[in-house]
Amino acid sequence: MNNFSKTVVLLTSLGFAAATNAEVRINGFANLVGGITSSDDALYGYDDSFSFKSESSFALQVSADINDKMTATGQIIARGEDDYDAEFEWAYFTFNATDHVSISAGRLRLPLFKYSASRDVGYSYHWVNTPRAVYAVPFNNLDGVRVDYANYAGDWEYNLQLAVGTFSGDNDLGDVEGKNVIVGTAEVQKDWFKARVVAGRGKTTIDADAVSNIINALAQISPELANDLDLRDDSGLFLGVGLEADFYDWFISGEFTSINAEDSFSPEDKAFYITAGLRFGAFTPSVTYEKLDGRGEIRFLDKVAALPVAFQPAATAAVVGLQQAVADEYEVLTLGVRYDYDTNIALKADISSYTSDIDDSLDSGLLRFAVNYIF
Amino acid sequence: MLKHTVKKIALTAAFLLGSTSVFAEVVVIVHPSNSASIDAKSTQRIFLGKEKKFSTGKEAIPINQAAGTASRNSFDNDTLGRNSAQVSAYWSKLVFTGKGIPPKEVADDAEVIAMVAANPDAIGYVDSGSVTASVKAIALN
Repeated sequence: MNNFSKTVVLLTSLGFAAATNAEVRINGFANLVGGITSSDDALYGYDDSFSFKSESSFALQVSADINDKMTATGQIIARGEDDYDAEFEWAYFTFNATDHVSISAGRLRLPLFKYSASRDVGYSYHWVNTPRAVYAVPFNNLDGVRVDYANYAGDWEYNLQLAVGTFSGDNDLGDVEGKNVIVGTAEVQKDWFKARVVAGRGKTTIDADAVSNIINALAQISPELANDLDLRDDSGLFLGVGLEADFYDWFISGEFTSINAEDSFSPEDKAFYITAGLRFGAFTPSVTYEKLDGRGEIRFLDKVAALPVAFQPAATAAVVGLQQAVADEYEVLTLGVRYDYDTNIALKADISSYTSDIDDSLDSGLLRFAVNYIF
Repeated sequence: MLKHTVKKIALTAAFLLGSTSVFAEVVVIVHPSNSASIDAKSTQRIFLGKEKKFSTGKEAIPINQAAGTASRNSFDNDTLGRNSAQVSAYWSKLVFTGKGIPPKEVADDAEVIAMVAANPDAIGYVDSGSVTASVKAIALN
């Protein structure tokens, strides 16, 4: 547990102690998710022997009203992929300034996607898990402040969120950090229609040995080019649009996102999913198509061409090699069904087909089962 | 058997009143002193945690019924426009983001009536056949 979490836990306990009449609520959720891929394939941490490890999680949330306007909330999650080591993923104070405005500070979820806030709560959506092409980003949690504004005008409901702070996370390469992060979100809803837009930016850094080795080697030829290629305190931009039409008996929705750090080796990631489903009593069968296009144009070739000819082959190998190594493009088609066993238990199953546009050998099929529980 | 009869009476009453929906067997109840204007929209907003006050500016405390009861099923489907599992999924999104706390749940119509009769800020719903003189009933349809 880091110092930040310790501080919040301490403050939270003080909050409990200070308010003798504090109402303390304990909620939790559990997701038991098992999966198996087609033979000799691997996907999302699963392989061709059935396992629960990749996506199962258990969480406990404690929240306490410190007074009429203030609440302290802590959420501990144990994830199968982390050997069920429990961690404080969220710990924050919320100040309800008015009926429409609330301010939260601490470690909280960045409001990037439609299901960002409840991404870990399988019960809250129809999928076994949120579509990874869009949702698998290394910056889900923010250490900072978020202001929420909610109101309505006539039949239109709207929500505005502004979040500022820092993030740290990791992806396949290594550690990812963001400083001076600012994210704004606007959502509107009327009857069956819902729409959201989000824009965010931050000074982003990727720390990974595989990347550093190439950058350091390149720096011996051209420090300037190495600096261009590196992703270190470079401005990253996040843009997203979400639309939903929900007619109760059936629904269709989608999200489209773009992540780009222009002055770096990291190509623009354009991703989207479209999902549609039917509601037959307790059954919600659905189909989801998702696509990630992270294979932008190779950058900095003009700068390589400007180098002395003798250096060009080595520089090309570094510049093109790194960009090609991190390029990714794939699509996933998923058929799934959710069954509402009770108002706190959902049973789900889905089958996915993953197709890589980079390397055919990565193509895979995946069958998953899930039990989602909330209390 | 008794419950069945009550329902039948409620259905007949709804029919006689020329209601648009014969399934509208649930009515909203508030304290007799509550003069707020209440309709389906404001009830929905209060029970989904989107509105915390009545039109009069006084705090609104919604009282829900346990999942699976006839009144709850009818209220969720007709007034909230979702089935109980969807309502539960909706609240799970708010609870686990610290954005809301679902309404307190009680066992049956009689408990709702007792709580609403005792609290000027409470708002609940019951089968129209259960309404007593200790609360003010408001038909939503």
